[in-house]
Amino acid sequence: MSTLAHTVTRSVVLDAPPAEVWEAITDEGQLSEWLAPEVELDPQEGGEVVCRFEDGEERRGEVELVEEAERLAFRWWREGAGPSRVEFVVDAVAEGTRLTVIESGLVPNAAPLLAAGWAPRLRALRLQVGRLVLA
Amino acid sequence: MATSGSAAEVRVDTVFSALADPTRRHLVEALAAQPGATATGLASGLPISRQAVAKHLKLLAEAGLVCSHRSGREALFELDTEPLVEAVAWIDHVGAEWDRSLAGLKRLVERRTS
Repeated sequence: MSTLAHTVTRSVVLDAPPAEVWEAITDEGQLSEWLAPEVELDPQEGGEVVCRFEDGEERRGEVELVEEAERLAFRWWREGAGPSRVEFVVDAVAEGTRLTVIESGLVPNAAPLLAAGWAPRLRALRLQVGRLVLA
Repeated sequence: MATSGSAAEVRVDTVFSALADPTRRHLVEALAAQPGATATGLASGLPISRQAVAKHLKLLAEAGLVCSHRSGREALFELDTEPLVEAVAWIDHVGAEWDRSLAGLKRLVERRTS
């Protein structure tokens, strides 16, 4: 699917076993050490997630998917934007664990644009402005 | 970063809302092809009235995607792609935020392991 760069994917390889990484992404205390200063997470489908950031922004959402030790997904609401979906994927690799985060559905009002095949047109515009990064 | 983000984020939303309408997308395209077009000129290629076109142009202008200047009795419209750049910058900002978070996660789990 062509996209309007509305999915962000990041990946990091961690020198730690998958079980520890899983804990770091599902345990409230540990999440509060790296995701946001205050994180509440009920790691089961339908569970609530609340993140409070340094700047006062609060994002609330709901857990959508839990595949023990492998996959966790939730939907949250960024300020001034609609809901987006965050998915963590845990993979065992030779060096330890690869954690991939995929945040999709960013600016969901863009969806009609995508449906209308807008991306190629934006690509043309990109040539004019020189800096429209499209996936 | 995030503190100055809110206003920009709201604007991003406005931009995408403005572009969610097929007629307005058509107008953006038409203006990309012929900068300085008039509402009358733009309406001639569409099955809607000049007034309807003017209304859509007003919405695009509110989103900052279109600007106009007067020439005699008519307003000439031009595209401003800056808000689109801003929309993309917001996406970049989200990516940078994850970079920071994951760097923090790496410190956390590797501190424990070593």
